[in-house]
Amino acid sequence: MAVVALLLLVVLPCLNRFPAPGSFLHVSDFQINLYGKYLCYAILAVGVDMLWGYTNLLSLGQALFFSLGGYMMGMYLMRMIGDLGQYHQPIPDFLVFLGWSKLPEFWRPFSSFPFAMLMAFALPGALAALFGFLAFRSRIRGVYFSILTQALTYAAWLLFFRNSLLMGGNNGFTDFKFILGYDLRTPRTQLVLYMITAAALILVYLGCRWLTRTKFGLVQQAIKTSENRVLFSGYAAGNYKLFVFVICSLIAALGGVLYVPQVGIINPSEMGTERSLEAVVWVAVGGRGTLIGPILGAVGVNALRSWITRAYPDLWQLMLGTLIIIVTVFMPKGIAGVPGQLSALGRRWKSRPETAPAVDPSQEPAAK
Amino acid sequence: MLCCCGALRAADDTNGVAVRQTLVRAILTEGAEQQKLLNDLAVPDSGVKIVAEVLTAWSREGVFIFPAPDGSKVPVLLEDQLDGDGKARALKVSDGQPLKDEKGAELRFASSDLNGAEADARLRGVIRQTLDSLALSDPNPEARQSAALKLGNSQKLKYVPVMQARMAKETSPAVRKTLMEAVQLLQLGSPDSATQLAAVKELAELRSIGCLDELKKLAAKPGLPPDLALAASKAVQSIEDHIKFVNFFGTIFHGVSMGSILLVVALGLAITFGLMGIINMAHGEMIAVGAYTCYVVQNIFGSGFGFAITLPFSWGGKAISFGARIGGLNAAGALYESYFLFAIPLSFVMAALAGLLIERVVIRFLYRRPLESLLATWGVSLVMQQCFRMVFGANNVQVNSPAWLQGHFSVNDILFGYNRVFVIGFAIAIVFGTWLLLTKTPLGLLIRAVMQNRSMAASLGVRTARVDMMTFAFGSGLAGLAGAFLSQIGNVGPSLGQTYIVDSFMTVVLGGVGSIVGTVCSAFGIGTVDQTLQQTTGSPVTGKIIVLVAIIMFLQWKPGGLFSARSRSLD
Repeated sequence: MAVVALLLLVVLPCLNRFPAPGSFLHVSDFQINLYGKYLCYAILAVGVDMLWGYTNLLSLGQALFFSLGGYMMGMYLMRMIGDLGQYHQPIPDFLVFLGWSKLPEFWRPFSSFPFAMLMAFALPGALAALFGFLAFRSRIRGVYFSILTQALTYAAWLLFFRNSLLMGGNNGFTDFKFILGYDLRTPRTQLVLYMITAAALILVYLGCRWLTRTKFGLVQQAIKTSENRVLFSGYAAGNYKLFVFVICSLIAALGGVLYVPQVGIINPSEMGTERSLEAVVWVAVGGRGTLIGPILGAVGVNALRSWITRAYPDLWQLMLGTLIIIVTVFMPKGIAGVPGQLSALGRRWKSRPETAPAVDPSQEPAAK
Repeated sequence: MLCCCGALRAADDTNGVAVRQTLVRAILTEGAEQQKLLNDLAVPDSGVKIVAEVLTAWSREGVFIFPAPDGSKVPVLLEDQLDGDGKARALKVSDGQPLKDEKGAELRFASSDLNGAEADARLRGVIRQTLDSLALSDPNPEARQSAALKLGNSQKLKYVPVMQARMAKETSPAVRKTLMEAVQLLQLGSPDSATQLAAVKELAELRSIGCLDELKKLAAKPGLPPDLALAASKAVQSIEDHIKFVNFFGTIFHGVSMGSILLVVALGLAITFGLMGIINMAHGEMIAVGAYTCYVVQNIFGSGFGFAITLPFSWGGKAISFGARIGGLNAAGALYESYFLFAIPLSFVMAALAGLLIERVVIRFLYRRPLESLLATWGVSLVMQQCFRMVFGANNVQVNSPAWLQGHFSVNDILFGYNRVFVIGFAIAIVFGTWLLLTKTPLGLLIRAVMQNRSMAASLGVRTARVDMMTFAFGSGLAGLAGAFLSQIGNVGPSLGQTYIVDSFMTVVLGGVGSIVGTVCSAFGIGTVDQTLQQTTGSPVTGKIIVLVAIIMFLQWKPGGLFSARSRSLD
């Protein structure tokens, strides 16, 4: 992990800054931006893995928390556009378009960066806490939990498509200009954002690793294996799950907060249940139940996606679908589990002559 | 004109002759008698088409007078088809036969050879009025109804006698009612306040929704006699109450039909979920399989169906492409209309086969891992959606409703579309069939046994894997049937299934897993509440959000759903 951290945090930015453009080692601004996006996804994926891989809670609402964080960041960035928008009004363009002449009350505090950041985590956290409290209290688990989080996400998705919510409707927020006084459109700002994202990812990784190795983490994994036994042992499994759920919503929101200034757009399509499922796929591909797996999965699948959507735009969905089927059926532990699977296969291969002596097929039933 | 001549020749019934004689007399006379004849023609006993065509021709100066050798005048129409000299056959208005000379040879004329029957501006006005009224005698009741509506809104009192004459002959009660409304609506504009009062009272009695605006205008008019104003506002009130009543039941009807579709979709899901404990995210694509099957069957009955796919990369320098074509039957009429009857069972079979394939290839490896199976079936759904796009194109395809599913009937102003009534009826049949299957057949017995206790059933010799397979295919087939209905109600596109999937999940969860009664109740409940909220909040989105939140809250109270199966097992 230390090597990966070094690579992400030091080597890539250096390769961007120092070798001359065109050199073999040069990493372009575009690529830095792209990796920044992948790392945001990786943050989201780590959160999904904490839920799914470590607690057996398949939440289809993670994209919702991700975009809620993103939307709050987006609101701040929209305020920072000032009157540089198309209508040259002091309020965001879409509000002018909807016929507003002054800022709605709830938009007002978002001119302040600390307030926007507070909301970016408080809102998803509060939503997760409320939903989780209700869901875990009535012991909704397994597939039910997935369906209900899907319904929650679907409802929010419908809501954010509405113009009357005053959150940009269908088009969401875009055309950002400044963040904290720095121009978002310069490669330098983007590089700094990338480095912040990489640092955030590493911190999230370390935090989760620490958490899974505490006593809390043990209970968490016990819940994964058998929730009923945990309950019978006197632990309030619901509270543990609630805590993990809230933590993971905050991790997702962090990903969203970093995602928006780098990608430059946030709209309701980021919020769909498909997005949540995709995040689950990254984890499945990378390897659930390990913390490095989701990072590998998020970066790998998204890099694959970038490549295929450019080369064969029609085939991406087909490929993704096939990938999901293959991974879930043949690689239950994902890429991170492949070495283990291979060595198990190797052991079986080696021990084959001893345990399976040539048996006459007609005697097989008797042998059983 | 060509079609008019066709009509002229075709009609040779006795009544047609009488109408033709009236037409001839109308063309040849003048003044008051001409007007009287034209008024008579406005409500003919039959031969509407002939009258309409001849009068249209007349107003365009297309009726000619042939001076017969015996000195009489014979009105004729010239055919459209001209010969080499620019001449055409002349058809007699009196019987539709071509004009012949004494030797029996057909006479031919150019339009300049004959004098036209005169039609000045005043006469043209009368003819137009006759033509307008003529639509009231159209053989198609719906055309009669719309004609009555049009005349009723014309605000011309002169149509009142015509409509009253027509009312006496009208046989269809719906058209009678419309005519009555139209007459009263015209009389609202009468200068005589006693007539107005009678009309207002009559309209209130009829609870005529179409006349509400006119009544409101009348009620708001200043300087009305007090009794008329009172009657008008009372009439407005009673009609508005009636509208509320109609809307209420209309919404319920829509909700029930929506619920029926949900029910058929969710029933399959409920059975597979109840049996295997997995959620099939590709269930929505089974709906699409059913809908596309309808589309293919429709095209096979029509001009045939074909597709060609070219993969975006090449192999050894050659582009890989494949396709297929099924020739069409080019059926027409009743045979073509019956395509849907073939499509319904086929859509079940196709979706069931697709389900079978998915179960064998993917799901059976994942029975012990429900969350992974959710993910894997989502992968299946992505693959299937892309396949639909490649075969049928990314755009929606058109599935025509057969004629017998189009249209509607109305009871007390509430419209019942035939397609929705059909869906409701079929859903009831399917629920009944499923109930029979589950409770009265050996397969049903096995399904219930596996549902209740898988390991016990297995140890008693039930081949659970086989039961799973059959159940999964059955559930998918039900989704296919739902797709067949949806193709009659909405658009058919690659992402058709996605629209219904969340709703049907919610239906299953709300109803209680594995409970048919629960699924029925929650499907109709969600359908009706959803439609009602859409009506009352005025936005489909708000309604849906409220329903979703309400379901989440409801599960707080009853986590197992409406009718949860009792079980001693913990998971």
